[in-house]
Amino acid sequence: MSDKNKELYDHLKGLIEKIDESDNYYNAFTDFWRIACAAQNSTINTKYKYDDSSKEFIEKYKKQLSDIRKELVNNIEYYVEKTMKSMEKNKMKVHYAKTNEEAHTIFLEELGDIETVYKSKSVEAKDIGILELLKENNITVKETDLGDVLIQLFDYKLPTYQVGPGIHFEIEKIVSKIKEVYGAELPPKAESIVQFFRDTYRKELLNDVKVSLTSANSISAEDGCIVLLENEGNISLLTRATEKHIVLVGISKIVPSVFDALLMTKMVERTNQADLAYISFIYGPSATSDIRAHSVQGMYGAKEVVIILVDDWRTNAIKEDLFYKSFLQCIGCKTCSFYCTASKAFGNVYGSKYGIGAIGILRDYIHNGIEAAVRDGLYLCTGCEKCTNWCPAEVNLAEIMRSLKKIATEKGLAPPPLEKYRQKIKQEKNPFS
Amino acid sequence: MKLLYMGCLSRANFPEMCENAKRIVNFLDSEFEVLNKVPCCGSLLHNTSTSQDQSNYMSEVYEWFKTNNISEMVTICAGCYNYLTRYYPEQFSEFNIKIQHLIQFISEPQNLEKMNLEYTGKKLTITYHDACHLRNARKPIIEEPRHILSSIKGIKYKEMDNNREESFCCGSGGGVYSSFKENSDYNSRLILDQAKRAKLLLTACPFCYTALQRVNEQYKRSRTTVMKFEDFIVKLMEGSELEV
Ligand code: SF4
Ligand code: SF4
Repeated sequence: MSDKNKELYDHLKGLIEKIDESDNYYNAFTDFWRIACAAQNSTINTKYKYDDSSKEFIEKYKKQLSDIRKELVNNIEYYVEKTMKSMEKNKMKVHYAKTNEEAHTIFLEELGDIETVYKSKSVEAKDIGILELLKENNITVKETDLGDVLIQLFDYKLPTYQVGPGIHFEIEKIVSKIKEVYGAELPPKAESIVQFFRDTYRKELLNDVKVSLTSANSISAEDGCIVLLENEGNISLLTRATEKHIVLVGISKIVPSVFDALLMTKMVERTNQADLAYISFIYGPSATSDIRAHSVQGMYGAKEVVIILVDDWRTNAIKEDLFYKSFLQCIGCKTCSFYCTASKAFGNVYGSKYGIGAIGILRDYIHNGIEAAVRDGLYLCTGCEKCTNWCPAEVNLAEIMRSLKKIATEKGLAPPPLEKYRQKIKQEKNPFS
Repeated sequence: MKLLYMGCLSRANFPEMCENAKRIVNFLDSEFEVLNKVPCCGSLLHNTSTSQDQSNYMSEVYEWFKTNNISEMVTICAGCYNYLTRYYPEQFSEFNIKIQHLIQFISEPQNLEKMNLEYTGKKLTITYHDACHLRNARKPIIEEPRHILSSIKGIKYKEMDNNREESFCCGSGGGVYSSFKENSDYNSRLILDQAKRAKLLLTACPFCYTALQRVNEQYKRSRTTVMKFEDFIVKLMEGSELEV
């Protein structure tokens, strides 16, 4: 057996040590994350805005949501076809990309000679490797979610929490970074920082955006609608003020009807216990018929809406009945991470470039193989099943993690102490004898 | 035959726990036996084996159960209980050995009545940590320990903020304790912080006990004593002083 497992083990041990040190991003993120989890864990039972608590909401709709998601998984080809037809009727331009590479080609073609893309938060773009692609092609990506703007500003590369990606940066550091990059002197207050970006970046965006890129929280097959959830208004601006709105999204975001799409989106909002300001239902490009009933596309909103539906690993996982098939049911709410024992202890040491927690690790496995998953901290998972128990969409993440560990063992990547237990159980029928 | 199934960690590290479990079980049913050279259930293999190795190992264990005519088992480890009741019936459709965790066994009405537990010492507040393996089992064991504790005259029972389905994991399961103790450094502390209001923190899982006990000593966070469920019950049966 190679020493790869030892190397990976030492690598993780090294990262874990950083959590207890001070003044590094592992320590800063983990400190913040632990507080966020504690807050999340306690508020899920409180009634703050609605008549029911988020937990009651999950309990009430979990079955319905899971059924919707399973319906898609069981009939994915039917729903992809249906979605594409409905979207075409809505005058959207629809592409189906079998692989990530195909998605890349389509995306570049759609960009034409554009040099700047304004972008909202998108797990899919990360999954598909769009950021790397744009970099290779010298196309500038401008993040618009303030958290992601900060991430770009700090050139931060470690795993983070997608819903509030820059939330662990200290105010003083943000202010001095702004001074360094923009030369603006701001008082160390959240309001001042927000006002600064409102005064400068919002204007720039409105004047400059030609092509914008978003994902979708959900898509309804019956009427070809894209549903987007947000709080800052960046998505509203991006999808309206632009010439071309490109939606890059995995086919697993499809649900049968627009009501299902709303439930899926609402579940993301409720499980995150965030009062979000906007939900957009986008049915196509902006249009007017006010000039003698002659329909013309592109009045105030987007002139073109382009959808790239990406399959990549998804249909294959269903056809081959792969162990992570239930991951297709994921709605991306991240509840699993908030309750995860390993996430709480290890913050962003436990995760990948696709995001923190078990779903970040699973994504890395899907795209980059088992060694990547072990490096991300697969063996920090205790099998506590909090993820599975809390998931509102019945993704059996704990069992998926166990299967990953088995694959890792097969490749000789299990941590050395566990490897020893394995031998002992085999030989002596007791790991601790 | 009826087997008291000790579990690998308990046998290796906690002989007194095994002794105490035996006292309790035999007090309630003298037919239960303890055998030597009992194979471990293999739950650790779930996190450190290939699918094939695991399934082969389970077949060996199942053969051993059959050879020894095991018809009924009481386990003292939460992991054995979860594993034997979940994965064995999945792999062997004819698997029909009756399996109970000690807590379930004690909580049966006739057993509780027979035990008639009572505490006579000075004021004592107790809390209980739900082990993941008991909470997650196909037949979860959640209310049983509370039922037992509320039946004991003379003690005060106090829940931690996160209890039952919402209880925290101690951070030591899944083989993590052997390789990344840092997980329990953080997560066991969360539990101990919540247990502060109680003198005694009981757990029915030897893995949880190992982690909670270590972290409790290391951090000196509280004046709470961590104790294994069976040790506590035997102390009551004996009427001996609780060192808390
Ligand atoms: S797997 Fe995690 S992110 Fe996905 S739906 Fe379940 S809880 Fe939400
Ligand atoms: S089973 Fe693993 S991934 Fe799931 S919550 Fe527990 S530690 Fe996290």
